[in-house]
Amino acid sequence: MTADTADEDVFDRFTTEWIDRDNVEFLRGLLREQLLVNRCGACRRWYQPSWPTCPNCWSGNVVPTEVSGAGTVHTYTVAPKSQLALAVIDLAEQDDLRASGLIIDCDPADVYIGMLVELTWVTRDGHPVPAFRPMRRPREFGA
Amino acid sequence: MSRRYPARDQVAIVGVGTTDFSRDSGRSELALVLEACQKAINDAGLSKDDIDGISGDIFRNEIVQSALGIPATGWSVSCLTAFNIQMTNAMMAVASGVCETVLVHHSMYRTPMLSASAAKDPYRRRAQTFMGVRRPQSHWPDSIAGEASVYAPWARKYLDTYKVRREHLGYIAVNNRTNARMNPHAAVSDPLTIDDYLAAKVLWDPLSMLDMEFPVDGADAFVVTTSERARDLPHEPVLIHAAVAGQTNRTAEENLIDVDHSSQGVVAERLWAVSDLTLDDIDLFYPFDGFSIITLKWFEEIGYCGRGEAGDFLDDSWVDSAGRLMIGGRVPVNTHGGNMSEGASQGSGHIREAVQQLRGDAAARQVRGAKAALITPGGFFFTPGALILRTAK
Repeated sequence: MTADTADEDVFDRFTTEWIDRDNVEFLRGLLREQLLVNRCGACRRWYQPSWPTCPNCWSGNVVPTEVSGAGTVHTYTVAPKSQLALAVIDLAEQDDLRASGLIIDCDPADVYIGMLVELTWVTRDGHPVPAFRPMRRPREFGA
Repeated sequence: MSRRYPARDQVAIVGVGTTDFSRDSGRSELALVLEACQKAINDAGLSKDDIDGISGDIFRNEIVQSALGIPATGWSVSCLTAFNIQMTNAMMAVASGVCETVLVHHSMYRTPMLSASAAKDPYRRRAQTFMGVRRPQSHWPDSIAGEASVYAPWARKYLDTYKVRREHLGYIAVNNRTNARMNPHAAVSDPLTIDDYLAAKVLWDPLSMLDMEFPVDGADAFVVTTSERARDLPHEPVLIHAAVAGQTNRTAEENLIDVDHSSQGVVAERLWAVSDLTLDDIDLFYPFDGFSIITLKWFEEIGYCGRGEAGDFLDDSWVDSAGRLMIGGRVPVNTHGGNMSEGASQGSGHIREAVQQLRGDAAARQVRGAKAALITPGGFFFTPGALILRTAK
C-alpha cells in the first residue's frame, strides 16, 4: 500500500507530465533528487527513455539505477525565456547515454561543447528538476 | 472475374505474438505492445534488424521502433480504425516494394471512458488526458455517439424491422463463450447459456452487457513479408489473398440511413470484387463482435444470407447441443471467442486466431483441414474492413 500512496504523490507533484508504469520510478527519483536511468540487468546497458524492456537485448530485467550525474556537454542552445543554456549531456556512465537539462551557474556564453558538467537541482512547479553546472572538481572525473 | 488487384497472394503473415488479455495488466500499454512485437518477430524466425516497416494505430510507431531498438525503417504508417487497415497498409507496403518486412502492432488499454473502475486508476486517468482530441462526427449535445449508446438504437431498429428475437443475438454471445472455453488465452470463460443470456440485465436497451465486447489490456503483433521470402521462414505461410476497407459518407452516428446501408455493405462489395475465392471456399469466419448486432449484420452483408434474414440463418446455423454456431454444418464462427469473450481487440484477435488455425497451431480449437479464413473487423461507422487469408497449398 505504501507504493500506491507514493504513486499518488507522484501524480500530485507532477500534474501535467505523462506518467506510466515505465517512467514513474524516474519521476519518483526526481522527487528525492536522485537521477535514475534504466539499466538492463541482462546485458548491463544503460538506456533512455525509460522503456520497459531493453532496446538492445529485449530483456525485461530493467533496473532504474542512480547515475553520478557527471557528464559532458554534447551540444546546447540558449533558452529564450530563462537565458540559460539548455544542453544535451553525455552522461559519464556509458558512451551515447544522454540527458537533457539547463546549465546553471554559468553564463551561456561560457558554455562549450565538451565542457565537463555535474548534476545539480532546481525547483520548478514545486518539485526538483535536474540541471547541470560546470564541474567543480574536473580532475576526479574522466581518465 | 475479379478486378485488378496485384497484391493478391503476394504477401504473407509469417509471425504472430500476443500478451495476456486481462482486466488490469498492472503494466504500461507500451510494455504490452513490446511483448507482443518481440514475440511476433521471434515467432517469424527473424530479428529486429530484419524489420524495415512498421504499421500500427494508437500507439506511436516511433516509440515502438525506439524501444525495440529496430535500427532502420523505410516506411511507417498509423491509422485509427478497427484492426484491418493496419494489415492492409502492411500488405500494400510489402507488395509495392516500399519495404520488405513489416511489423504490425495493435494494443488495447482500458480507459476511463470504457469502465468506471478504470476511472479510479490514476495511471489510466492520466493516460486519458493524453488521448488526443478526437473531433466528434456528431454535433448534437445529446448524441447517441459513444460506445454502447450508439449500437443500441440501431439494434432496436433492426429488431423492430425484421423478424428477429433476442435469442438470435444470444446465439452470437453464447457461441463466442463456448469457443472461448477452448481458448486458454480468453479473458472470460465462465459457461454461458441462452437462458443466462436472456436473464442478463438490459444496459442500453435492447442490449445487455452480454451483447458487448469485454474491454481488456493486451496487445497483438504480426510480421508480414513477401510470400516468396515466407517460404524460407519457420512457419507455414499464411497468404493475404485480399484485404479491403469500406466507408460510407454517413459517419455521424444518427445519420446512418438504416442498418442495411452501413459501411459493412461497402466492404462486402469491394471484397468480392477482388477475391478469387467465394463464400463456399471459406472454412472459418471471423465477424467482428464489438456488439452482437454488428455480428448479426455481418452474416447478412458479407452474403451468408439476405438482408433481414439473419434470424432464420442463425436458427439454421445454431447447434444447440454444442452451444455454438456452425454455418452449413461446416464453418465455425469466431473460434477464439471474439471480442466478447477472448477480449476486445478491435479485430487483431480475430486475425491472430485465423493465422493460428491456418497454420494448424490452434491446439484444442483446431479446425482440421482449414484452408481459407474470412475476417471482417469493424462495425457500421468507422472504416470496417475484410481480409481473406489462405494457406499456400
